Amino acid sequence: MIPIENFLILSAILFAIGFYGVLARRSAILILMAVELMLAGVAINFIAFATYLDADAFSGLVFALFVITVAAAEVGLALGVVLRLFRERRTANVDEANSLKW
Amino acid sequence: MFDRLPLPSQFDRVIIAGGTVAAIVATPVLVVLLGLLLSDVISGPEFVFYLAAIVVVAGALGAVLMPNVVHAALCLVATLLGVAGIYLLLLTEFIALVQVLVYGGGVVILLLFGLMMTNAVDDPVVTDGSQKPFAFLVAAVMGGLFVAVMVDARWGDPTASVVPFVDFGTRIFRDFSVPVIVVAILLDIALTGAFINARRAEEAPLERAEEAAR
Repeated sequence: MIPIENFLILSAILFAIGFYGVLARRSAILILMAVELMLAGVAINFIAFATYLDADAFSGLVFALFVITVAAAEVGLALGVVLRLFRERRTANVDEANSLKW
Repeated sequence: MFDRLPLPSQFDRVIIAGGTVAAIVATPVLVVLLGLLLSDVISGPEFVFYLAAIVVVAGALGAVLMPNVVHAALCLVATLLGVAGIYLLLLTEFIALVQVLVYGGGVVILLLFGLMMTNAVDDPVVTDGSQKPFAFLVAAVMGGLFVAVMVDARWGDPTASVVPFVDFGTRIFRDFSVPVIVVAILLDIALTGAFINARRAEEAPLERAEEAAR
């Protein structure tokens, strides 16, 4: 059987790559894509722990399922906000939407 | 030769270039992995794991580094399908199916719609912020820390228990009925909010009139 560390290291790498994307990208939708990468890393972690360390092997699956659901809701909502922003400002870059910045 | 193929010119260039790069990168990796497999250094499941892990990491790097937003979205598809393969290796075929349907089908299409309606309208090539070195530093430190902690920790003996596919629905609605309802309400509110938020202002003349009267 594959050691659990393999999955955990893969999920950590995926999370770190997604974090880099969140910090480095300027377009709001590309930031969302990077957030999806981070969520995928977290879900891999949940399922690895559920399969390897939980005798019941169910709670982790449910959490991963909810992560996927919430991510889908988040993408839909964020897309609406970004479209509205683009219509008002003709830009989707987060550093140009700074009217709340003091 | 490529001129005679009935493909839109940009699309065939993307496919040919992407396929060539993928083949050049994948061939040595496949040869090395097959050699390891045949010499019994790694087992069959580990072979599949490393293959899926390479797809996941390469796709993720493409998704955060590619300057062209459409290419980045296509790299994201590769990552999400690779993650579905990882779920299959973890013996959770239901989550893998949900991953392919929801992410590969829905989320990526939504993201592509968003890209087409915002960035890709004028220019599909974006520039990243000037904070790149700082972002790389923070991500490298965080990833290194996570990997170090996870390698260092001592995990218990693996139980490798599996929930059968047929039990999943029964158990999720019996043991987790309240979270399911909460998530359902969350989805409902979020998508209704997205619809109301993204609606064109001209389509709501009544609200405009009320605002003007105020």
